[in-house]
Amino acid sequence: MKIAFVVQRYGMEINGGAELHCRWIAEHMKKYYEVEVLTTKAYDYITWENYYLDDIEEINGVLVRRFPVARPRNPMRFGRIQQFVFHHEHKIDDELKWLEEEGPLAPALIKYIDQHRADYDYFIFFSYRYYHSYWGIQTVPEKSILVPTAEHDPVVYLRIFKELFSLPRAFIYNSEEEKNMIQRVANNSHILGKVVGVGIEIPSSWPTQQVLEQRGIASDYLVYIGRIDENKGCDKLFQYFLKFKERTNYPVKLVLVGSTKLTIPHHPDLIYLGFVSEEEKFAILQGALLLIMPSFYESLSMVTLEAWALEKPVLANAHCEVLQGQCQRSQGGLYYENYAEFEETLKLLLEDDKLREILSQNGRRYFESNYTWEVIEQKYNYIISKLEEEKENK
Amino acid sequence: MGEDKKQKFSAEEMEIKIDYENIDVEEIMNQIKRKIASRPAQEIEQQEEETRNDYRETIPPPLTSPPGGLRSKMRRILLKLMRPFAPLIKLMILPVDEELRETVENLDYANRRLDELTERLHQEANRIGRLESKIDLNHQLVNERLELAFKDLGRAKEYTKLLHQLTHNLVVEMTKLKIEKDHLKIQSRILEKDLAFLNRREKEVEKKVFS
Repeated sequence: MKIAFVVQRYGMEINGGAELHCRWIAEHMKKYYEVEVLTTKAYDYITWENYYLDDIEEINGVLVRRFPVARPRNPMRFGRIQQFVFHHEHKIDDELKWLEEEGPLAPALIKYIDQHRADYDYFIFFSYRYYHSYWGIQTVPEKSILVPTAEHDPVVYLRIFKELFSLPRAFIYNSEEEKNMIQRVANNSHILGKVVGVGIEIPSSWPTQQVLEQRGIASDYLVYIGRIDENKGCDKLFQYFLKFKERTNYPVKLVLVGSTKLTIPHHPDLIYLGFVSEEEKFAILQGALLLIMPSFYESLSMVTLEAWALEKPVLANAHCEVLQGQCQRSQGGLYYENYAEFEETLKLLLEDDKLREILSQNGRRYFESNYTWEVIEQKYNYIISKLEEEKENK
Repeated sequence: MGEDKKQKFSAEEMEIKIDYENIDVEEIMNQIKRKIASRPAQEIEQQEEETRNDYRETIPPPLTSPPGGLRSKMRRILLKLMRPFAPLIKLMILPVDEELRETVENLDYANRRLDELTERLHQEANRIGRLESKIDLNHQLVNERLELAFKDLGRAKEYTKLLHQLTHNLVVEMTKLKIEKDHLKIQSRILEKDLAFLNRREKEVEKKVFS
């Protein structure tokens, strides 16, 4: 059986989001099926400019076919269209124009799917909101499986996606909340769908002490790992953390890991480390008291799963239904909606070692029963076998 | 984490009850929410406002002011000039039937959104109902506990009264005993003197009898 994974970007350099999710799944599923990846030549997720040169390459044993982006995204124009589509009455054409501008505009990829549909048994599309998924699923609905990686933002309510969500043969969701949201928006509960998510790659070892010494981190700290920008709730996190320090003077620092799009406030207790290697990331996470996840929009949050894998409790933003749901299902973290709750929950977590320990153990158990690779692979195989059964019964 | 480094919070502040054998994150969060809800709403709003202000103060100011741009200026002026003709332009570029269809679609979409919001509203109402019943239950429990506490307090009051009376009686008894003791002391001294006198007399009588 041959399966194509279709995703907006793909490469070893891309270390987060749906793209990394797709790469890990493709690499793990290659032991069961013949796997190929169909993607664009883009690397930058804002402009989608062509970056990769080769049309075909092999990454970790997976064949990757790359297609050029016909026109890079103009962020200003995209912003204007998005503003209009989100806040004004508009036509379907406007939404399609938004989709084209959202990109990555790679008609050659869609043409390839159309011409080679017979070569593949299934096309697994990642991220519903991009050009490749919308037009790709329209091209081969009978063979498509969608991994929506949807967040609860205004995009999911666009009319073009209501129709799109009724086309694929199956859905692979990241969380119960995502499944409920999509089924509510599109009324498509009759379509096969399973909450799967993604496994986590944990390095065999990491030098925690060495990394902390090198980075000059000597005291207790909380950690945030991910892109530092407003969409991830980092500005709110800074506000809340600085207020927490001012009110309680608790001897704890906040370590920030990841590339930044925000100006980080000048404060001795905010330690910005920038982009770090995987080993360093795990070392820093291992040394932390807990992980803070302030994001408003998440469809899964891989770093939260990593924290639980390392037996670290999580303090998450309750405005993100997925994070709140994950905390409740795992019993591995607390959550906050406003500053008062942030202060109370953080104080409780810092003060109560036993609670932290139990939450950590719960998180680890949740990770082991839902997000190890054996479980994830089994779930993907189950979806494929169900679709095969349906095909035989027809 | 070093105990000495910690700033300890008062017992009153950390009154969240946790069943460590059976952790329930939702229950912990409910307790935290209840605790916060018991504070004045103004205080919470003020805290939120302060977090925003404090944050603004820590952000370094931008080095340059954002560029205005002749193009955007022209665009703004053009859009301003065209505004009165907007309905006419819309009518010209959009056929009426299409507009009607669009409106119906929009209404349908709005209806679905409204349905969803209504459903959420119902869910919230149910949640509030559940919370209210919980509050009633808690209220009842608090009343029962208060009644018991008042009973205990009454008993303690009576007991204190009794103790007071007992102490008073003890003082009176002790005073009487002291007087009795002094009296006995005087009597014993008189008896001692009598005995001494009798001894001396006995000696004198003996002398006279045997001489």
